[in-house]
Amino acid sequence: MGRVRVAAGATRRALPFLLRGLVSSAVALVLLIRVLLVAAFTLIGVGWPAIPSTVRAVRRWAGDERRRVAAWTGRPVPAPYPPPIPDDPAIPTRALLAEPATRRDLAWLLVHGLTGLVAGFLAILLPLSVVNAAVVPVYWWAVPSDEPVQSPYPVTSWLGALGMLPLGLGWLVLTLVLVPLLARWQAGAAARLLAPTKDARLSERVTELTATRAAALEAHGAELRRIERDLHDGTQNRLVGVIMHLGIAERALRRDPASALPLLLKAQDQAADALSELRDVVRSIYPPVLAERGLDGALAALAARCAVPCTLRVDGLRRLPAALEAAAYFVVAEALTNTAKHSGADHAGVTVTLRPPAEPGDEEALVIEVRDDGHGGADESGGSGLAGIRRRVAAFDGHTDVTSPPGGPTVVRAVIPCAS
Amino acid sequence: MRVVIAEDDTLLREGLVLLLASEGIEVAAAVDNADDFLAAVAAERPDAAVVDVRLPPGFTDEGIAAAAAARRERPGLPVLVLSAYVEDSYATELLAGGADGVGYLLKERVGKVEQFLDALHRVVAGGTVMDPEVVSQLMVRRRADDPVRTLTPREREVLALMAEGLANPDIAERLVVTETAVSKHIRNIFAKLGLAQGDAGHRRVLAVLAYLRS
Repeated sequence: MGRVRVAAGATRRALPFLLRGLVSSAVALVLLIRVLLVAAFTLIGVGWPAIPSTVRAVRRWAGDERRRVAAWTGRPVPAPYPPPIPDDPAIPTRALLAEPATRRDLAWLLVHGLTGLVAGFLAILLPLSVVNAAVVPVYWWAVPSDEPVQSPYPVTSWLGALGMLPLGLGWLVLTLVLVPLLARWQAGAAARLLAPTKDARLSERVTELTATRAAALEAHGAELRRIERDLHDGTQNRLVGVIMHLGIAERALRRDPASALPLLLKAQDQAADALSELRDVVRSIYPPVLAERGLDGALAALAARCAVPCTLRVDGLRRLPAALEAAAYFVVAEALTNTAKHSGADHAGVTVTLRPPAEPGDEEALVIEVRDDGHGGADESGGSGLAGIRRRVAAFDGHTDVTSPPGGPTVVRAVIPCAS
Repeated sequence: MRVVIAEDDTLLREGLVLLLASEGIEVAAAVDNADDFLAAVAAERPDAAVVDVRLPPGFTDEGIAAAAAARRERPGLPVLVLSAYVEDSYATELLAGGADGVGYLLKERVGKVEQFLDALHRVVAGGTVMDPEVVSQLMVRRRADDPVRTLTPREREVLALMAEGLANPDIAERLVVTETAVSKHIRNIFAKLGLAQGDAGHRRVLAVLAYLRS
């Protein structure tokens, strides 16, 4: 009895699956006809431009099928298309056709278009036959005797009607055995044809790893360039300034010693600047607080230290690559310094969020927003603060928006993609 | 003399203006990017331009390109390019569009005001001025059998000063020797390197640089 109950459960689950399969195979047939038409037109030379849209239509339908099968089996069926995203119109037709996934999609279209209909009809007919066999003994006498019930033999007597009962049992056994089997077979075939082959999965993984490795190297290179630039534009220029002003002072001493003093003071200022910029560069390479407390801890420390009352909200943060954390820390530190120095604000707010990818193929992004209620009108050319933020963010392929209308508020928003 | 300055660092730009002004050189315009620089050269028709190699937006070698563009617009415009570090290829690029009235100096040379002004004047006079670093960079990359290695230390000094664009009397003054001694050194150098005895000025610089680069 237990086995019957299991079979009944499996059949109940398999039936709707096969019925939806009936619909999907009807669409697959239509698509198959479209593919054949396009192929024929391509042979006579005019079908080529229709290929990408056809392949994409097949892919969309294959995608629906993947979801249908995955929902039924509880196991996801990954799409085998290599990045870039299959809907990208820039993929040339030839490359599209050369993809093994395209050929496998077509194979599925053929298999499913032909067998899905049969399986679907069986899923309808077998249970109906059981029901019919069960109810024939009830109504056969009501049917006019010159057109008797014909399923599968003419029922013209009570004996014949009773014969329907073992037949119905037979139909029932067939239903319980065949329907789950058909569903399993259909799901299995779809999963095999629509999922990437093992080779494809491996090579996709290799591509992925190659890309992340390249991105890591690139981020490292960007960081080196950033440090070089900070040293060059900051410290080195300040030292040149010291030398220059000492040179001018030297000339002034010969001509008019009294005029040399301001120049010497200027040289001294620039030497002090050089030192403090050098200190900043050293700190910017990797703030020790990041290693100790992580980005959220380090940001909390920054917010607490800020001269303007500052609220901090972090969302979805986890440990990120050190260079990225350092960049985020730098952006917030620099923006808060600007706020404290220039904005006249009573309050500042810092929001740092790890934004999940908007769509597949996108990257996660670290979104950093620093806003204050000051008087606005931030001047990008004035200090090096905003320019420094832009540079630092750009090194990670990110971008920075600064809005600071006169009267405020000032919002610095940086979005840094995180290649994970 | 009127000059146009392109330097993106505010403090250095102001410093340069101060330096030139206190030496009696008029600064017609001091700008911080290549576009403004080209506009200023067109509008002010200066006697010379002083350009930082790194300018926005890329902060790589925009200054070299800007200098070249200015010289295309105004052939013969004397240009003195300042750089935070010496890059042999920058020098090559600069000289590619004609070498008269071209200078390439490390930024810190402006601290030796007298020599800096001297270099500027030589560039304005149509000479070629290369930073001693360019020359020493080129000299260290020599093969073992290179004739440069047969030069005496004194001759190397003279060679470097020649590459800087100095004339014989200036070389004599720098090295505190007589002009006759300088001429003798130069004859030896040209003989050892197999160079045709060049005349004074930028052609001599070019010959030396061409030799060193080969």
